[in-house]
Amino acid sequence: MGNPLRTAQDRRLPRIPEPCALVIFGVTGDLSRKKLIPAVYDLANRGLLPPGFVVLGFARRDWGDGDFESLAYAAAKKGARTPWREEVWQRLASQFVFVPGSFDDDAAFDHLHDTLNDLRDRNGIAGNVAFYFSIPPAAFPLVLKQLARTGMADNAKSGGWRRVVVEKPFGNDLASAMELNQLVDSVFTPQDVFRIDHYLGKETVQNILALRFANNLFEPTWNSKYVDSVQITMAEDVGIGTRAGFYDAAGAARDVLQNHLLQLLALVAMEEPTSFDPNEIRAEKLKVLKAVALPKDIELGSVRGQYLAGWVAGERAVGYLEEANIPPDSTTETYVAVELHIQNRRWAGVPFYVRCGKRMPRRVTEIAVLFKKAPHLPFNPADVEMLGNNQLVIRVQPDEGVVLKFGSKVPGTAMEVRDIAMDFQYGEAFTESSPEAYERLVLDVLIGDRTLFPDAAEVEQSWRVVDPLEDAWKGTTPEPYRSGEWGPRAADELLAREGRTWRRA
Amino acid sequence: MIGLWDTTGNEVVKALAAERRSAGGVASGLALSLIAVVEERKVREAEAAATIAAAAHPCRVLIVVRSDLDGRSRLDAEIVVGGRLGPAEAVVMRMYGRLALHAESVVMPLLAPDVPVVTWWHSEPPETIANDFLGIVADRRITDSAQAADPVAALKRRAEDYAPGDTDLTWTRITLWRTLVAGAFDTTEETVVGATIVAPPSDPTAALMAGWLAARLGITPVLEPTDQWPRMRSVQLQCANGDCVTVTREEGTALFSRTGQEDRYMPLPRRPVGDELAEELRRLDPDQIYSEALGALAGIKHLESRPPQRVHIWRDPAQAQRAEAPVGAYAGPGGRAV
Repeated sequence: MGNPLRTAQDRRLPRIPEPCALVIFGVTGDLSRKKLIPAVYDLANRGLLPPGFVVLGFARRDWGDGDFESLAYAAAKKGARTPWREEVWQRLASQFVFVPGSFDDDAAFDHLHDTLNDLRDRNGIAGNVAFYFSIPPAAFPLVLKQLARTGMADNAKSGGWRRVVVEKPFGNDLASAMELNQLVDSVFTPQDVFRIDHYLGKETVQNILALRFANNLFEPTWNSKYVDSVQITMAEDVGIGTRAGFYDAAGAARDVLQNHLLQLLALVAMEEPTSFDPNEIRAEKLKVLKAVALPKDIELGSVRGQYLAGWVAGERAVGYLEEANIPPDSTTETYVAVELHIQNRRWAGVPFYVRCGKRMPRRVTEIAVLFKKAPHLPFNPADVEMLGNNQLVIRVQPDEGVVLKFGSKVPGTAMEVRDIAMDFQYGEAFTESSPEAYERLVLDVLIGDRTLFPDAAEVEQSWRVVDPLEDAWKGTTPEPYRSGEWGPRAADELLAREGRTWRRA
Repeated sequence: MIGLWDTTGNEVVKALAAERRSAGGVASGLALSLIAVVEERKVREAEAAATIAAAAHPCRVLIVVRSDLDGRSRLDAEIVVGGRLGPAEAVVMRMYGRLALHAESVVMPLLAPDVPVVTWWHSEPPETIANDFLGIVADRRITDSAQAADPVAALKRRAEDYAPGDTDLTWTRITLWRTLVAGAFDTTEETVVGATIVAPPSDPTAALMAGWLAARLGITPVLEPTDQWPRMRSVQLQCANGDCVTVTREEGTALFSRTGQEDRYMPLPRRPVGDELAEELRRLDPDQIYSEALGALAGIKHLESRPPQRVHIWRDPAQAQRAEAPVGAYAGPGGRAV
C-alpha cells in the first residue's frame, strides 16, 4: 500500500527522501565545502529534506560538533544559491555531528557505527544512510574495508538502505576502474553505488533527452543522412589550479574526456530508451559507448596539447611547465582533440570531434550538430558564399541554451543568403536559477533515483575508449599552444584535412 | 517604458512591438501570456509578483485595471519591456467607462501567438467567471479567495463555479503544509482514522486542507476554531494504532511531532505572492487533486468531469445594480459584502 496522500497527479508535492543520514568522509575538503554543504543547505531551504535528516562529518581533526558547525556555516553561507535564512540553518546545524578520526583508526569507525545506531533509535531514521566519499581515491579501499568490517554498508544488518557516493576519478585506467568497481560493489550492493558525474546534474544535459525525445522536429534528421559531423567542446579558461599532483598524473583525457565528454557523446548519440527508467537509459548509453570507434591511426586522428604562457581574459597566465609542482619535463596533456566514430547504422561515417582543454579563451561547454549542406542550391554561387552548415548547438555552460543556425535572406534587392542564429537561452526563457548540479544529485542519491548516475559498466566502457589513446600517446610530447588560444595548430589541421573547421565556441 | 494616454488598442499593439524591437533580444522566448485583473492600488504589487513568476516562466504580462465604469470610455496604457520587470514584458492598461466591460477587445490582440493564456484575479474573485470574458479566453484561471470578504464562502462559490483549469491561491498556500503532512506517511503503513485542524474559522486554507484530507483519506476532519492565531495553526492526524502526527506552524517554521520520535523543526516560510504565482504557472493542465479537495469542501462531486470550456454570459453591471442585491455574503466585483 502506498502513501494515500500522494498520487501521481499531485505534482505540486515534491519528492522528499525518507528520513536518513548523510555521512561525508573528507568533510573539511574543497568539494565538501564548496559544493556539498551549500547543496545540503539549499535543499533544506527548499524544504526538500526529510524530518530528522542528519549530517555526519568525518575527518581527521581534533574537533567538537561546534567547530564542525562553524566550518559548515561559513561554507554554506558562501556557497548557498538560495537566500540565506538563519532559522533554516539553525535547524539544520542542530543535526550536524562530527566524528573525528583517521581512516585507519578502528575506534573512530566503531564510534561512527555506534553514532549511526544511536540515530536510528532516536531519530526514526530506520538505518538509512548515504556515505559520501569526498576523499582521494587512494583512501577508498581503506574506508571501504572499515565500512565492511563494522557492517555499516550492509542493508540487511542496518535495517534500512546503505548507499555510497563516489566522485570521479573512477580509477585511472580500465584495470584500476574494474578493481575499484569490484571493491565498492562487493562492500555495498551494486545498485546502492552512486557514481557522481556532476555534468549529468546540469539542466541542459537533461534537456538533451527532452530535446531529442520529446520533439518530432529533430529526431528525423538526427542521423548520418542529414548530419555532417558533431563537435563536442569543453573549454576551460582556468589552468590546473592547485590540482598539480592529480592533474600531472592524469591529464586532460583522463580528467574530463573519459567521464564528462563521453557522457555527453552518449546522450547525443544514443537511441531512444524504451522508457525513462534508469536501467533503460543506461542500457542505451552503454550500447552507444560500446559502438565508439577510435581513429585507425591514433597519431593522425588525435591531438594532444600543452599550454604555454600567455594571456587569458586580460590576465597573464603561466605555462603548464612553470606551474607549481609540475616537473619541468612533464609530457602531460592539457588539451585533447580526437575524432571518434560510432559504428552503427545511425552514425556510420559521421565524425564526432571531441575536444577539451585548459587555458582556452573562454569557459564554454557545447555540443554542435552540424548538418549537411543542401544537396542543391538554386542560387547564384556568389549569393550563398556566406551560407554555412545548418547547426543545432546545445550550450551546456555558461548561458545554457540551444542555438539553431540557418540561412536567411539578407534584406535588399539581391537574393543574398547568410547564416543567422536563432537563440534560445535557457536562462532567459527560464531565468529561475536552475538548481546546482550537486543539489539535484545529492537529492537523487537520498531518494534512490539512479537515472543521472553512470554505472560500473559505463565507466569501464569509457575506459576502453580512453586506454588505447593513452597507450598510443605514451612517449610522445604534446603540441604546445599559447594560453588564450583555441588549442594547438594541429587540432585545426585535424579538421582541415577533411575540409572542416572547428566552430568558434 | 512608454506611456500612452487616451489611446486605442491598435496603438498599444504597435507600441509594444516597437519596445520589443528596441529592447533587442530580451524576452524572445515566451512560455505564456498572463492576464492580471487588478485594482489600481494593487498594480505595483501585481507587477512585482509577475516579475518573480516570470523568472521561472517567461511571459507577457497584461495588467488590466478597470475603474469608473460610469465615466467616459477611455484607455491609458503603460508598456515596459525588460528593465525593472526583469525578463518579462508588461502592458498595464487602465480602462474606464463602458470600455472596461469590453476589456478583451484590447487584450486579445496583445496575447502572444499560440501560447497558453492564464488569467489571474489579484482582487476579489469574480462571482461567476463566465461573466468575465478575460476568464473565457484563459486556459488556466487563478483566483485568490483570501481577498474576498468571506473567504470560505468565496471558496464554496469557486466549487459551484468550477471548471477544470481553475485554481485558487489558497490552495497554493498549503502546498508546503501538504508536503510535510504527506511526507509523514512515506515510511509508515498506518491507516489514518481522524484529523484535527486548528485554525481561525474564516481561514480558507484550513477549509481546503480539510477538503484534501477528506478526499484523499475518506475521513471527516474536525475543524477546531481558534481566535488566538491569525492563520492555520496546526494539523493533526490520528492513526489507527493510536499514533499521532502533528504539524504546528510557528513563525517561519513548522514543528513536526510524531508519537515515539523526537520533535523536529522544518522550514515553513511564508512565500511572496510571486512564488505562489510561479508555482501555479508551472502546470497548465487542470489540477485534479485541487478539484477533489474543493469538491469535498463544498460537498459537490465530480467537479473534474465538468466541461473545461466556459461560454461567456453577458452581464451588464449597470443593469445588475438596479436589480436586487445578490443574496449571501459575497456580491461580486465592485460589490459589497453584506
